[in-house]
Amino acid sequence: MAGHNHPSYLKIYIILVVLFAVSVIGPEVAPMFGAYAKAVVLLTAFGIAIWKAYLVCAYFMHLKFEKVYAPYILLACLSLLFVFFFGTATDAMFSNGHNWFKDLDEEAMVKEAEARSYVLNKDSHGDHGDHGHGAHDDHGDEDKAH
Amino acid sequence: MAEVAHAEVGHGDHHDDHHEQSFWSKYIFSTDHKIIGFQYMFTGMAMALIGGYFAYVFRMQLAFPGASIPFWGTLSPAAYNSLVTNHGTIMIFWVAMPVLIAAMGNFLIPLMIGCDDMVFPKVNRLSFQIFLLSAIVLIISFFVPGGGFGGAWTAYPPLSAKAEFNATPFGAPLWLIAVTLEIVAFLLGGINFITTTMNARAKGMKMYDIPIIVWMIVIASILFMCSVGPLVAGAVMLLFDQTMGTAFFDANAGGDPVLWQHLFWFFGHPEVYVVLLPAMGIVGEVTCTFARKKLFAYKLILYSSVGLGILSFFVWAHHQFISGVDPRATYLFTTTTLLISIPVAIIMFAYIATLYGGSIRFTTAMLFGLAFTGEFLLGGVTGIWLGSSGTDIYLHDTYFVLAHFHYTFVPIAIIATFAAIYYWFPKMFGRKMNETWGKIHFWGTIIPFNGIFIPLFILGAGGQHRRIYNYQNFPDLAGADMQDMRVFATVSLIIMLIFQLVFIVNFIVSLKRGEKAGKNPWKANTLEWITESPPPHGNFGATMPEVYRGPYEYSVEGREKDYWPQNEKPEPENR
Repeated sequence: MAGHNHPSYLKIYIILVVLFAVSVIGPEVAPMFGAYAKAVVLLTAFGIAIWKAYLVCAYFMHLKFEKVYAPYILLACLSLLFVFFFGTATDAMFSNGHNWFKDLDEEAMVKEAEARSYVLNKDSHGDHGDHGHGAHDDHGDEDKAH
Repeated sequence: MAEVAHAEVGHGDHHDDHHEQSFWSKYIFSTDHKIIGFQYMFTGMAMALIGGYFAYVFRMQLAFPGASIPFWGTLSPAAYNSLVTNHGTIMIFWVAMPVLIAAMGNFLIPLMIGCDDMVFPKVNRLSFQIFLLSAIVLIISFFVPGGGFGGAWTAYPPLSAKAEFNATPFGAPLWLIAVTLEIVAFLLGGINFITTTMNARAKGMKMYDIPIIVWMIVIASILFMCSVGPLVAGAVMLLFDQTMGTAFFDANAGGDPVLWQHLFWFFGHPEVYVVLLPAMGIVGEVTCTFARKKLFAYKLILYSSVGLGILSFFVWAHHQFISGVDPRATYLFTTTTLLISIPVAIIMFAYIATLYGGSIRFTTAMLFGLAFTGEFLLGGVTGIWLGSSGTDIYLHDTYFVLAHFHYTFVPIAIIATFAAIYYWFPKMFGRKMNETWGKIHFWGTIIPFNGIFIPLFILGAGGQHRRIYNYQNFPDLAGADMQDMRVFATVSLIIMLIFQLVFIVNFIVSLKRGEKAGKNPWKANTLEWITESPPPHGNFGATMPEVYRGPYEYSVEGREKDYWPQNEKPEPENR
């Protein structure tokens, strides 16, 4: 095998086509499985997608025949994708604004102000200097409500 | 350049004699890694002049607001924004990156690991050509209507996304295109560095025999490859926002401006380490050679750099503590930010431990290397306040931040680069640079450098915000004492820039009239010093070197000479 260790690409291709067929048919027939329908959809759609991705990376991208650091670099990039996603999700997943608000959207501003108003009302006779900060810190859950 | 004819060398199809190549094919469309390294280095140095000139102009405006500036004229607010933006962009993307990684990587990696060229010479040439194109696009952007991009080098939307905010309708897209092209260029270069180091090492060179700078450049290239994707994606999205009316970062249309900050800094913070690691590698080589001692804790330095690289992907949001990121995330990012100082400190202490008990030679290169260690420590220590989310609320976007990252970036991009140039100049051009003028240049650089940024620390702690055109409009910041410090910083900058002329003259004169260096002027061990200076095409002549030991065997007991080149056979009398 040394020197000439390429697999049969046609064989891999046929396997990929079969897997593709399974991933199309799987979700179609999933309702037949009743309570397990969700699991069947996940397995046939996503499970097989991962398997197919592995086959493409390993054989068509030659990672199986590369030195060991090449797949490691790919895995590192893949894991960074998750790092980036989870680092950003808390801010970017809220299309209505989570920690910022649309300052030209008056209706939203009014709602925002109302949602925060309990802080303002609590000591409306006191010193007004700190209200900006206090309101900003405490608004986390109210935003999700509207 | 090299007088030796080496037509007998069997190095592929490029072994024709130097005299037969035209200037065009030898210097402009060369695939020789050394020439490509020089191309990167000289382009980077030319861009450094532009960046330095920009710094001079806007520092003059800050010190003497509204006055007519020599060699510029009166500075308008829009032009001020443009200068500040492009100073930052140029110094990071077109000076630090090409000189530290591309120039040093191209020149040193094949020489230090003992092979005749990069494994993909034409990819290498393409890399420089794209880089040159990116530099040209950036320079063109200064002359389009509205001038160069004026939305700060971090290009935060909404300022960067709409021409009515940044006032540079053509400069902004051109800036984004230039940055994207520049990134493509360095990806191509990085592929070469990694592959060459992994596959083309000299016979006998094991992983732990690779000089530390080569390791650092490889790790930096991997960091760059892993981090750059989000920025390219973000740059294209921002370009669409600017030119095609999309709203990826427009809050009024459902976009998210903070998302850009994530995309930018996910690249931007590893980028700091992308340029830091090669600088540390340079300083490691220089320190070792001139302390005549084995590098302290080679493996620990190597593992620390890898750890540094991994950790650098978990710290990016410390740039965004006050831009409205989730407060829960700030705990996490404060912790990781403070953690990342540990590997940096390990490497720094290893360099200091290398000095301990050595017989130190204070050449110019060594002085710059030592200055890097000292000044970078100052930059790192001031980062502690900025990394903790509590103190950052006060210090964010003040001149304290500015002084902090200049205390890290100037040692990286200027001081370490000078160390490298003074150290490898004999190998690059066959002659030494003048040491006396080198030392004058050293003190003329280091003292004004501190003169610029120490006042800026004080001003920043006093509340002076960044990116302000004229502080006279702010009663709290317009006091005579604060203005005096601004003038002091500006005068220091002018002195520092004037002393760079010493370097330029020394460089040019030494090219022609410097003392002949010979093969190994510094008595160093690594493989680049065993070949001619400058190295011929193909680097090592007919026989490629074979490696028998690590790169830092200095002052080994029982040996007559205090150095032990990597290629020297263990028992010469046996053969």
